[in-house]
Amino acid sequence: MARLVLTWWIPLLILQSFLLAIAFGSNEVEEEFNEALLLKPLPDRKVLAHFHFENRAPPSNSHGRHHHLFPKAISQLVKKFRVKEMELSFTQGRWNHEHWGGFDPLSSMNAKPVGVELWAVFDVPHSEVDTSWKNLTHALSGLFCASINFLESSTSYASPTWGFGRSSDKLRYGSLPREAVCTENLTPWLKLLPCRDKDGISALMDRPSVYRGFYHSQRLHLSMVDSGEEGLGSGMVLEQSLTVVLQPDTVSVEKHLQPSWSLSSLFGRKVVGKCVLAKSSNVYLQMEGLKNADPEKTHTLWKSAEFELSIEPDRTLRELSSFLYIFNIDKSSDSEPFDLGFTWKLPSKWLCKQAPLHASRFLMGSGNERGAIAILLKATESPERDITNGCTIKANVFQIFPWYVKVYYHTLQIFVDQQQNTSSEVFKKINVSPSTDKMSSGMMEMMLELPCEVKSAAISIEYDKGFLHIDEYPPDANQGFDIPSALISFPDHHASLDFKEELSTLPLLSKFKDKSLVRSYTEVLLVPLTTPDFSMPYNVITITCTVFALYFGSLLNTLRRRIGEEERFLKSKAGKKTGGLKQLLSRITAKIRGRPVESSSSSESPEAAQSSVLSRKLLFRIMLVAVAAAAWQYFSTDK
Amino acid sequence: MKNLILVIVTLLCYSFASSSGDTTIHTNNWAVLVCTSRFWFNYRHMANTLSLYRTVKRLGIPDERIILMLADDMACNSRNEYPAQVFNNENHQINLYGDNVEVDYRGYEVTVENFMRVLTGRHENAVPRSKRLLSDEGSHILLYMTGHGGDEFLKFQDSEELQSHDLADAVKQMKEKRRFKELLIMVDTCQAATLFNQLQSPGVLAIGSSLKGENSYSHHLDSDIGVSVVDRFTYYTLAFFERLNIYDNASLNSLFRSYDPRQLMSTAYYRTDLYQPQLTKVPVTNFFGSVMETIHTDSAYHAFSSKISNSKIKSDMPFDQLSDQDVKEDLQNGNNQNDELKTEKQKCPYSQMRADLHEKLKKIENVDTVVNLSIAVMILVVMVSSSLL
Repeated sequence: MARLVLTWWIPLLILQSFLLAIAFGSNEVEEEFNEALLLKPLPDRKVLAHFHFENRAPPSNSHGRHHHLFPKAISQLVKKFRVKEMELSFTQGRWNHEHWGGFDPLSSMNAKPVGVELWAVFDVPHSEVDTSWKNLTHALSGLFCASINFLESSTSYASPTWGFGRSSDKLRYGSLPREAVCTENLTPWLKLLPCRDKDGISALMDRPSVYRGFYHSQRLHLSMVDSGEEGLGSGMVLEQSLTVVLQPDTVSVEKHLQPSWSLSSLFGRKVVGKCVLAKSSNVYLQMEGLKNADPEKTHTLWKSAEFELSIEPDRTLRELSSFLYIFNIDKSSDSEPFDLGFTWKLPSKWLCKQAPLHASRFLMGSGNERGAIAILLKATESPERDITNGCTIKANVFQIFPWYVKVYYHTLQIFVDQQQNTSSEVFKKINVSPSTDKMSSGMMEMMLELPCEVKSAAISIEYDKGFLHIDEYPPDANQGFDIPSALISFPDHHASLDFKEELSTLPLLSKFKDKSLVRSYTEVLLVPLTTPDFSMPYNVITITCTVFALYFGSLLNTLRRRIGEEERFLKSKAGKKTGGLKQLLSRITAKIRGRPVESSSSSESPEAAQSSVLSRKLLFRIMLVAVAAAAWQYFSTDK
Repeated sequence: MKNLILVIVTLLCYSFASSSGDTTIHTNNWAVLVCTSRFWFNYRHMANTLSLYRTVKRLGIPDERIILMLADDMACNSRNEYPAQVFNNENHQINLYGDNVEVDYRGYEVTVENFMRVLTGRHENAVPRSKRLLSDEGSHILLYMTGHGGDEFLKFQDSEELQSHDLADAVKQMKEKRRFKELLIMVDTCQAATLFNQLQSPGVLAIGSSLKGENSYSHHLDSDIGVSVVDRFTYYTLAFFERLNIYDNASLNSLFRSYDPRQLMSTAYYRTDLYQPQLTKVPVTNFFGSVMETIHTDSAYHAFSSKISNSKIKSDMPFDQLSDQDVKEDLQNGNNQNDELKTEKQKCPYSQMRADLHEKLKKIENVDTVVNLSIAVMILVVMVSSSLL
């Protein structure tokens, strides 16, 4: 009876657990992936393409969770090094703030310094932050085929306190201005996407087209989202974006007309369908500076007197100063690829929104001994500025100095509108950590408060050039050394696109809707340092050896040589006759060498020599036999 | 006591057999491809390396088993008119850089130190797996190097040198650490042959593009790119490989014979004295591809154990038993071990002979007669020899 009950119960239990699993599974938020491409004509006849991929993994409590879409390599990185937030960018080219915009979310997030920039916030005790950073740089260098591991040495990174815009004492920041960026960096980055570059929007990334551009910046941003619940881990958000500024190939009909373009003319490829794993997959076209656009007739805006789109947008959004056309690429297929074309009909000119101040940086002074670095902030034609009394612009300057650029912080000067200013008026806050030779790099954080009507402000600081050890020079030392870009951020200014609509289904736009800090990076500076003559050690060795040889050679010669003695010796040698013992010796040596005796011993007849040899052999033989016989005798008697 | 000696002998034989490397089968292929030259005018060296990279990938070595070292960035160099593309021929038919290139060491990372670290496997703990040569005693490794060299040295980045002694030491260390079964070193530099002078480790095969006192020349100039795009030796190597696919059975000997000194304008040099197998029987895919010998198995494990020489498996057995079981069983196993030893005669002749002699000596009771007899024999020999004189 009991057995019967059991047989009834077991299937029931299994069914119950199965149902429970289903119930829990449905409770859990799925991993989600979104892809988007934003296209934007730029006023200087170029086109900006911004690829944006977002991968979200929800919080989970299990440790060995499986990921469906989220890249395993990144989640392992997070688990191993306890990264809280991280951003890695690979950039070539310099963002043109004047023409490509300096006050929109796109530029504030994607205008990056040349080379590699990496910053990360860790969730480990203070003492372990540096080791985590070191291990992270090595792991990333293996993952992205770049020399990010050079950031491990304490001379190349810094820990900004407030100047970077993110205040955390577990933050590390480093940049490598000379790092090359090419296909080998893009390929592993694309491998993190669920569809790689095989399908969806990422299939557009033709390597030669991407790297032919004026500017390309490949970015990876990772952040943890705290679930807030106890016991549940934190979710991960991985944002990957690639920003390219391209020049459309044009057979220009008219000089003033902006060039027309299409996706296939920019990239040489077309979109043949969305990545099936993506939740949303959209193409956006952003148009700035449409003057005579009627806000009421948004649905007809795609075919105006000024320009024409080849495909009708699915939706049109209006923002304060721009229009956004949204295209859904779900419908596209192999037979009907999505190839958005853009044709200008009338010459058009517009201006991009500018950051309140335009920053540039340069070197002053000459010679190989000392110099000065100057950062120039120039006012731009920003329409938002109301010049009333008491209005101020706040600007944070964050700068890392390598140790061989020995900065004298007391020489810091500021000129506001070409008038030297007493520092306390303008410098609100300053934080300096001086460099230590071959140990750590220097860092400077400044908060400036400038009056709104300022035309220009220049900061200068003097430095001495240090000397490196001969082994520390890179192979191309004569090219000079780089000072990483300075970061200028405006803490009171935030850029955002101001949409009225609810946009939670469009992750890229909802991201642009959030306020982001306006920031700009300055140029990288190239400092020529005194380089030694690298063949010097060799030269020194050879010259020293020559001198020593000459000196000691001649000294020994004069000290030891006795000419009278030598002459006497020669004379006696000539007069002396060769003795019998000497002859014997020479004969023995000759025999050992196997050559005939070359001395005067030829007087002896060859037969005699032969007979003496024979007799010696005979004697030897007889002795041997005698010894053998004696031995035989001995042993036989013993028995 | 007797047992102990036997155990020691078997152990000796075991280590002798396994270190000889003959018993391990070829299990995997690795490639280390190094371009040591910096600066744009050395474009051809990078093209050389990438051509080899493309070839070995085409012939089946996966990216994770290729360590690619490129000393400079040519593909995205601002001087390159074709961004993200590298060509090794004027006709621009093959983009060597492709869409799927993985460079493990690049730029300033390509130093003699890192090169030696890769070969010997002595890395910092933090270094990721993709930057390590994780080969084992069953690995065939192709080491290709190109750059500027001279008598017994190869320049790295125009600032430091790898000397032939360094290379030989690294290879020796690899051999001792059992990091390879067979190693093919291919060098395309001036006076490449001199780089192999100090090599001593068995299992190493070396090909150089030129003899001592000879230069290695570039093949042709691409006027669009503005520099020479490939070296002669590599060009003709590729010409040989372009005709091959992964299933071809071309031997190393046919590769060596394909070099024509008139075309190369230098004499290709092969060092084969450290390499035992016959070159006519070794297919090039042993090094340039990843083609494993297929062993047909009827059941799960037997075929594998028969492939490895019997002695290795059997000599493992008594040792295990000794360590696990008590002395009584040891004595019982004594006979077994004797049987084992017979199978090992070929493997370890010297120690076997000594053991036999020892045994025989123990059996003989009358030592004196033996000594006397031997002396008598000696006298006879002496007499015969003296009469001959």
